[in-house]
Amino acid sequence: MEELREYAKELLEKKEVAAVIGYTQVSENRTKPIIITDPADASKLVFNEYCLNNLSVYLTKARINAMCRTKDKIMKLAICAKPCDVHSIVALIQENQVHRNDIVIISFNCHGAVKDFGYEFSGENLASKCITCETHKPLYFDKIFGEEKETPKASDAALARIEELESMTHEERFEYFNNEFDKCIKCYACRAVCPLCYCQRCITDKAIPRWIESSSHQRGNFSWNIVRAFHLSARCTGCGECDRACPMDIPLSLINRRMAMEAKKSFSYVSGRSLETPTLVGSFNEKDSDELFM
Amino acid sequence: MNFKMDEKIISKEDLLKICQDVIAKGHTLLTPGMNEYFPVKDISQINLNSSALPAKTSYKSYVFPRSEPVLYYKRSKDDVQLIDVNVDGKNIIILGAKPCDTNSISIMRHLFNWDYSDEFFNLREKHFIIIGLMCSHYDEYCFCTSVGSSPVSDKGSDIFLIPLDENNFALRIITEKGKEFIEPYAEYLKPGDETRSKQVTENVKLPEVVFDSKEVYEWLGENFESPKWEGIGNLCLSCAQCAFVCPVCHCFDIVDEDYSYSEGRRMKNWDGCQFGNFTLHASGHNPRDIQSKRYRQRVNHKFRYYVDKFGEILCTGCGRCSRGCPVSIDIKEIVSNCKESV
Repeated sequence: MEELREYAKELLEKKEVAAVIGYTQVSENRTKPIIITDPADASKLVFNEYCLNNLSVYLTKARINAMCRTKDKIMKLAICAKPCDVHSIVALIQENQVHRNDIVIISFNCHGAVKDFGYEFSGENLASKCITCETHKPLYFDKIFGEEKETPKASDAALARIEELESMTHEERFEYFNNEFDKCIKCYACRAVCPLCYCQRCITDKAIPRWIESSSHQRGNFSWNIVRAFHLSARCTGCGECDRACPMDIPLSLINRRMAMEAKKSFSYVSGRSLETPTLVGSFNEKDSDELFM
Repeated sequence: MNFKMDEKIISKEDLLKICQDVIAKGHTLLTPGMNEYFPVKDISQINLNSSALPAKTSYKSYVFPRSEPVLYYKRSKDDVQLIDVNVDGKNIIILGAKPCDTNSISIMRHLFNWDYSDEFFNLREKHFIIIGLMCSHYDEYCFCTSVGSSPVSDKGSDIFLIPLDENNFALRIITEKGKEFIEPYAEYLKPGDETRSKQVTENVKLPEVVFDSKEVYEWLGENFESPKWEGIGNLCLSCAQCAFVCPVCHCFDIVDEDYSYSEGRRMKNWDGCQFGNFTLHASGHNPRDIQSKRYRQRVNHKFRYYVDKFGEILCTGCGRCSRGCPVSIDIKEIVSNCKESV
């Protein structure tokens, strides 16, 4: 932890970065995002199993980028990112929303995070994405901290749920999701926390013509949640922030994960893993499978 | 209202018998669960636990639905026909409401009866019977005592329950409406013992008073341009989780939904002041164009503008907005530290 703070302090003091986006402790089992510009505040940084936020969501915010533009130069932005958050950063770079040279990625050897604030870190309370995680070491980073540790073991309940949904008939599955989406209050917290929902103007905010009804009745809710799932297909990196942010506990990541499974199966593509490959939706290969076309 | 409060004792078993009867009569009985106040189908679902965490959402949606039609329309060549909506005035009994929820309706009432009397809100409210339950939950987000309420406050309840022991409650009849509701069940009520209930309420651990709302009011008036707003605005991600889980946030949007060229309906939908397009004008101008201005609006509306207009703070201190905030912005912390330098 001290090394992290020292490093952040140095970056700020040497004016290599305009700000460090990181985590700070709120209470025993809870952290929150912090944007540090004063080197003296670097002592507030922490990294532990309770760092749940995917901070890469801040990278595309105009107000954060504005901090980097000083009179005579454009400064970099340092970001604390878990290995899984690095996937989101990679996806943002692939989609030309962030330049690799504009950011300093401070990452960690990760052995999992807790599923939500208020829980004690253990196998039982492990976040769903950590159960199947294969990148305990970040794929890209400028600086890495933390020791390598064993991730607690847990069973993959989400996959079991997906398989269960797969075994249902169309009608049953439709009913299941309709009931889940029925709970949606359209607070758009899922969109707000998603690093890949960076559109300046979301399709659901377009009023002429109105593609998605703003009412949170069944039709409006279904169209919003399905459109979001489509827009994230083969793009979602599975950070699970939408699940955590949803005040109504709609299992949004089930859909996103299912779509990611499809991208992997049909196109051998996993989002946010390589800076060298183009995005799946942004590239065309005549050898691509046609099976998904109706 | 000059109604004299009356206190009785009721056993849990008898209370559940009343619930059973309420359901049998076809009324809606709501009770708090983990996530929301839900309609009880079977009395085994009722858990009158005063130490439970407040449900993630309040029962606001039962008086002010998240989405509802306000009129239907039919268009013909040279005429538009408007068709009214019939609001059902179904009795809704809310059992076990937290004191931080019970006064929410009376706070919202000002707005819905200000320049226009909202018949939908009023009709639904008229059919509400609120049975509050003393609260013994206390976490880092609770601050009801700082906004003039308390875990033992019966304000806003028609009937208020205080758990005396595992099987008995003190039952306070607070309003005429509460009296009318409980009268048919007089056989279940035993004479009250105010010294016993007082003993219980006095032993409840009260959330610490963390700010003086008058001082906050003053500070907000003088610090519209404070650099604090920018810091919060940088972190806030502009969702409306805080507004939608809030028991008293009441902003809404009116939109027309066409079914076809000739038919459609006008909807009233929840809206939130943290959305970028909340104040976007048709011209393209946006008076609250950046997040810091939007967050400033939220705090000012709750602790200053609403006080100016209606004499009450637009906050019950339930802490839901902070408990659920994806980036852990804590309104209690912001308000109580407002005077500290940046």
